[in-house]
Amino acid sequence: MTATTEPPPPAKAPGESRLRRTFSALGAAQAYIGLVLILAVGIATKGEVFLNETNLTNAVGAFASRGILAVGVTLVILTGGIDLSVGSLLGIASMTAAMMLSKYSLEPWQIVPICMVVGGLFGFLNGAGTAWLRIQSFVMTLAMLSVVRGLDRQVSDNVSVGTQIAGPDGKLTPQAEAFQLFGTPGHNLFDRIYYPVLAFVVVCVVFHLILTKTRFGRHVYAVGGNPTAARLSGVNVTAITIAVFTLSGMLAGFAGPIDAAYSASADPQAGQSYELDAIAAAVIGGASLAGGKGTIAGTFVGALILTLLDNVLGLNAVSDNWQLVIKGLIVVVAVVLQRPDLFKFFRGGSRS
Amino acid sequence: MKKAITVALCAVLAAACASKAPGPSTSADGGEKKKFVVGYSQSNNAEPYRAQLNLQLQHYMKKYPDIELLPIADAKQSSATQVSQVQNFITQKVDALIVSPTEPAPLTAAVEQACQAKIPVIILDRTVNTDCYSAFIGGDNVLIGEKAGEEAVKLLPDGGNIVELRGIMSNQPQIDRDKGFREAIAANPKIKIIADREGKWLKEQATPIMQQWLAQHEKIDLVYGHNDPMALGAYLAAQAAGKAGQIKFIGIDGLAIPDGGIRAVQLGQLSATFIYPTGAEEAAATVNKILHGEKVEKKQVLGTTQVTKDNAAELYKKYDLSGQG
Repeated sequence: MTATTEPPPPAKAPGESRLRRTFSALGAAQAYIGLVLILAVGIATKGEVFLNETNLTNAVGAFASRGILAVGVTLVILTGGIDLSVGSLLGIASMTAAMMLSKYSLEPWQIVPICMVVGGLFGFLNGAGTAWLRIQSFVMTLAMLSVVRGLDRQVSDNVSVGTQIAGPDGKLTPQAEAFQLFGTPGHNLFDRIYYPVLAFVVVCVVFHLILTKTRFGRHVYAVGGNPTAARLSGVNVTAITIAVFTLSGMLAGFAGPIDAAYSASADPQAGQSYELDAIAAAVIGGASLAGGKGTIAGTFVGALILTLLDNVLGLNAVSDNWQLVIKGLIVVVAVVLQRPDLFKFFRGGSRS
Repeated sequence: MKKAITVALCAVLAAACASKAPGPSTSADGGEKKKFVVGYSQSNNAEPYRAQLNLQLQHYMKKYPDIELLPIADAKQSSATQVSQVQNFITQKVDALIVSPTEPAPLTAAVEQACQAKIPVIILDRTVNTDCYSAFIGGDNVLIGEKAGEEAVKLLPDGGNIVELRGIMSNQPQIDRDKGFREAIAANPKIKIIADREGKWLKEQATPIMQQWLAQHEKIDLVYGHNDPMALGAYLAAQAAGKAGQIKFIGIDGLAIPDGGIRAVQLGQLSATFIYPTGAEEAAATVNKILHGEKVEKKQVLGTTQVTKDNAAELYKKYDLSGQG
């Protein structure tokens, strides 16, 4: 609530406002500094084993589906909400993809829109519950996390479904062959481009443009910054809320086939706890859970930090237990560095 | 307030009476036409192995027409949920209870409660810290680890480098499958485990780990996955790097599902897998014996079967229950 009652920052003395601007610019840059640091550590400890196209593609590819979820989660976070259901939505979308492929032999280009509709539908329900029934989004999406996981397990009968389907001649069916291009390791578009990485980058670019160049984007920030002021200035808060949850669901649906292809199998447990990785990426990238603050560029960098950190620690054979500790600490450090106001202590000054 | 308490008391009494009602008919030995009711609390339905177990148990229980298996209770990996499920079954006065404990310690008290209520308990797959049960049925993960290790020794006669994908570190099967394997490969000192990491039983965790291993290590000769999905996740990574042909893959579980380990052996992706027995057939038979007053063996440790290209088709047929409700 503090965010809504705070008046817009009035113009201050030139000196002070410049200081503030420097600090907030530094804050936004922290994510990049973190990324540079991790790259430096990777190169210093592992050299070319780390810094080569295959390794980096593998690292980003492994995180791509979670990165796409992070973009959707960022949209929701910008409006001041949260989406905990994206992991489950990815799970049911990956199961949908595998079943469409194995049971109905659909073409991959037919599967993607179906998965996006499935994800978008559940996302719409999240938005409707939040905007119309006024259920807090944390509660609404927590419930959806459970409901959708249950449905996923029910339709799959708790059994994983493979995507490498052999025809009567023992070879993969043409649909299954094509489906591998969605991310089965070793399968590239035009023998060159790893689809999960491409998809992640394109999603980031598209949503960066939507947020920065369109009226919808400005409204998303307005709703998160101050919903009352937004409503008074003519923004349809309800429509924006429903739209961001629906988009988040559609993105989870888009990520589903990537996840299924990556493992060549849709697991009824797929995507479990992915929502936490997605939120972590957004937060490391500078998004504030209070809403109104954050960028897709930041989330992109946050996702890179998480996956490259995992890669560098793995290549250096750091134990799994310490990896958990380090990853948690990185989140705290990233968030602290993005709060320039915390540095006021060190300047000794206090403003009323 | 008083009224509420009275209403609540009446409700409790009514419930107590209702649950007591079928009591006499189930406790009597002489009743001929009675039907036994059996409850089963499963630790987590969402693991393919446990889904298979459920399917098999329902299948084998149908062979005993005087036994009715209640809907399987899914504890969803939560010990607390499972304790209350067991207590619910005790309240319902089931004639026998089957439990696949999520964790030993939290379930011990609940199993003892059932025991005190004179309900025979069959512990399936994982252990509890009490002797107050009628039978334990389960696989031997140390033995399976040993068999996998012996197979690795056979596959690498000149020694070699092994990488090991572990299940969740605190899980007993993980500890046992690791222990047995390490003991068995000690037979050849030229075989070394050069890296091991926690793959959390998941295929999609295993793939990036294997990719990192392939980047770090020049020579990997064999991948030992504590379950088939992890071994297959590593296979995907090796295949992408063009190294699948030079590396052998060993898994465990051997599920007879299209996406499972037996099929993977048939396809030549895994060199071998080891069937981790569900114990469903044995559990059904044991329940039947107990309910009819016959003696049963208290500790029934099940063996394993190695799946090879030669026996894969036959084993798949034997364990595939997808065609039968």
